[in-house]
Amino acid sequence: MTAKIAVRGLHHEYVNPFTRERVTALDGVDLEVPEGEFLSVVGPSGCGKSTLLGILAGLIQATRGEVLLDGRPVVGPGPDRGVVFQEFAILPWRTVERNIAHGLEIQGVPKAERATTVKRFVELVGLKGFERKYPHELSGGMKQRVAVARTLAANPQVMLMDEPFAAVDAQTRITLQEELNAIVQATRKTILFVTHNVEEAVFLGDRCCVLSRHPGRVKALVPVSIPRAQRTWKLFTSDHAFDATKERVLKLVREEVSGGEQV
Amino acid sequence: MRPWLSTARGALPFVVLVAAWAAVSGAGVMPAMFLPGPGDVARTGWEMAKDGSLWVNIGASLGRVLLGVVISVPMAVAAGIVVGLNRRLASVLEPVASFFNALSGIAWLPLAITWFGLGWASVTFILWNTIFFLVFFNTLVGVRTVPRIFEQAVRTLGGARRHVILQVLLPGAMPSIVTGLRMSIGFGWRALIAAEMIATTTGLGFLIFNAQNFHQTDAILAGIITIGILWLLTDRLVLQPLERWTIERWGLVSSS
Amino acid sequence: MSRRETAVTWVVLLAAFLAAWSLASATLPVPPYFLPPPTAVAAAFVDLVAKGILPVYVMESLGRILLAAAVALVIAVPLGLLLGMSRGVADFMYPILNFFQSVSGIAWLPLMLVWFGFGEKTILIAVNYTVIFPVLFNALLGVRSVPRIYVNALRTLGGSRWRIVRDVMIPGALPNIATGMRLGLAYGWRALIAAEMLVGANGLGFMIFSAQSFHLTARIMLGMAVIGALWLLLDYFVLRPVEAATIARWGLVQR
Repeated sequence: MTAKIAVRGLHHEYVNPFTRERVTALDGVDLEVPEGEFLSVVGPSGCGKSTLLGILAGLIQATRGEVLLDGRPVVGPGPDRGVVFQEFAILPWRTVERNIAHGLEIQGVPKAERATTVKRFVELVGLKGFERKYPHELSGGMKQRVAVARTLAANPQVMLMDEPFAAVDAQTRITLQEELNAIVQATRKTILFVTHNVEEAVFLGDRCCVLSRHPGRVKALVPVSIPRAQRTWKLFTSDHAFDATKERVLKLVREEVSGGEQV
Repeated sequence: MRPWLSTARGALPFVVLVAAWAAVSGAGVMPAMFLPGPGDVARTGWEMAKDGSLWVNIGASLGRVLLGVVISVPMAVAAGIVVGLNRRLASVLEPVASFFNALSGIAWLPLAITWFGLGWASVTFILWNTIFFLVFFNTLVGVRTVPRIFEQAVRTLGGARRHVILQVLLPGAMPSIVTGLRMSIGFGWRALIAAEMIATTTGLGFLIFNAQNFHQTDAILAGIITIGILWLLTDRLVLQPLERWTIERWGLVSSS
Repeated sequence: MSRRETAVTWVVLLAAFLAAWSLASATLPVPPYFLPPPTAVAAAFVDLVAKGILPVYVMESLGRILLAAAVALVIAVPLGLLLGMSRGVADFMYPILNFFQSVSGIAWLPLMLVWFGFGEKTILIAVNYTVIFPVLFNALLGVRSVPRIYVNALRTLGGSRWRIVRDVMIPGALPNIATGMRLGLAYGWRALIAAEMLVGANGLGFMIFSAQSFHLTARIMLGMAVIGALWLLLDYFVLRPVEAATIARWGLVQR
């Protein structure tokens, strides 16, 4: 069975505009993501995880290597790969419901159907009552909920999430993670989730992909065996298996961080 | 980026523009008198520079701007602060200042001519009032929008009124004042050119309007180019650094 | 401060101002045409309105500036957006537009006089030029200042080029366009008055300028008041509401 996402020999270089040096962001990444899996991608700063996501999204053209979705190569951005960005990328001049509807509008979905779909997703992300609000009236957490709803509503094959909860406060972050878990169970999408927060990666992922420090390569793939339906933060802090997995991933990441530190 | 490279890059569009100009005028689409080529204009400009007429007029225009700034700005800032300190006065005078702002500039010329006759006094008056009202209005608004908490902080440190003015209100209102200054010189420069066309016999405005009388289009174009260059230089070498030196240095506003 | 207090202060200040003016007018050792009293200005107002002269002048000037506004909206905004979309073109055009923007239409007037003579065409060209360039320049800046992330978000939703222009570029550039319009019209209104003085056979600029040659100072003051008031009305009832309806509603900050 073909993996949903397949990355083979991915290599990416670019020229740093300030220092004029050639930088290798990714150095031979091989990865396969089966359908319906939630893959967390972690690694130290600068390991290229956001670059990886950018390439998968089609926003960056890799210098070498293959990226396949359902066996077909990825060429440019498109609605088959939905992206939730780190910074708030919902349009400030559209209300919550018009932002969520945006992908559907683009796809030419008729108005009535759009309205029902939007309603469903507004409720899914818990923003009922805020449909007519503008982004500047919302908190950071709410804005990201809109972003997630917008991406989901467009019904992509795959969801790519680039540190979506990095810009929110810790408390909201926990809430959003638990909500995302519920959404994942409900929709069973294939998701690639980039984060620098190890706990978040383990809490959310079916597997954790640890990237090595710059230049990035896949260092390890760590499965998270706790059934998703049981995952809560309370469990996370108390359950032994959860804790052990977290420690393992943390150790792997730390190795990469300290490996790069200058003594 | 290396400085000479970026200058070259900045100059390229103008090089292309001048080339296009040369092509249009050379193609003979219009009679030579109507659209002289860059070569003719440059020659005329050079002659005006050599015989001094260019410098005299540049000096007259710039001198008036300088005079206008030196007279108006201290007055306007002082008045803006004084009025801004009194809440009641400020809220009443703000719309008045806004009205005079709307009126400023060339609309005063006939009145100025009535009072001062033709000549440099009328023209300077126009400049004065353009700069004064805009800077006054901006100072007023700037002072009023300084967060009260800064004033309170200085007061609790034992500051007297003069400390509040010099250490809180003036710096706090600075972004607004500098913006006002920049805008007012922009408006003022334009009003100046227009006023020089009508009311006086020196200055760049006069130069190009007079040249029109004799259909000396090459002199007109040389004058127009000089006006544009002077304004860009003033903005680039004086106003923007001023903005940077005050506002950005104090981290009050990010540059556009 | 209560509304009543504001009103009272207003009345007091206005009365004081008028009183001082009348006093100065009556006592200053200058020819009578130097400083006509407020009553003379009021009389001139009544006179010119009754004769239908003032309304005509107002319509002439307003008509010209509104035409320039319409031209800027229809031509300069789309053109600016278009030029702004390509980074290369925008970078190239930036210094040129900056230069042309800083040279007022009035500076071009002498050349226009040689080409078209002392007529309506010359005035219109000068005024339209003055309004168009700030709008064009700012529209271009507006497009370039739209955060790249919004464009990327639309691309990942499958948005076409046209979608991106419609849903991201135009709304994103709107604050700058509004600024450009405000600035362009401010410059334009003043350029209009100047052009009417220099070229004119009609309009408010002509009215106050010709009044000066006959020492009709009350008429000059009246004209000035009308000029200022008209601009305030334009700004208050047209430009600001547009800004408020878009920018304030979307919480966008404008610089």
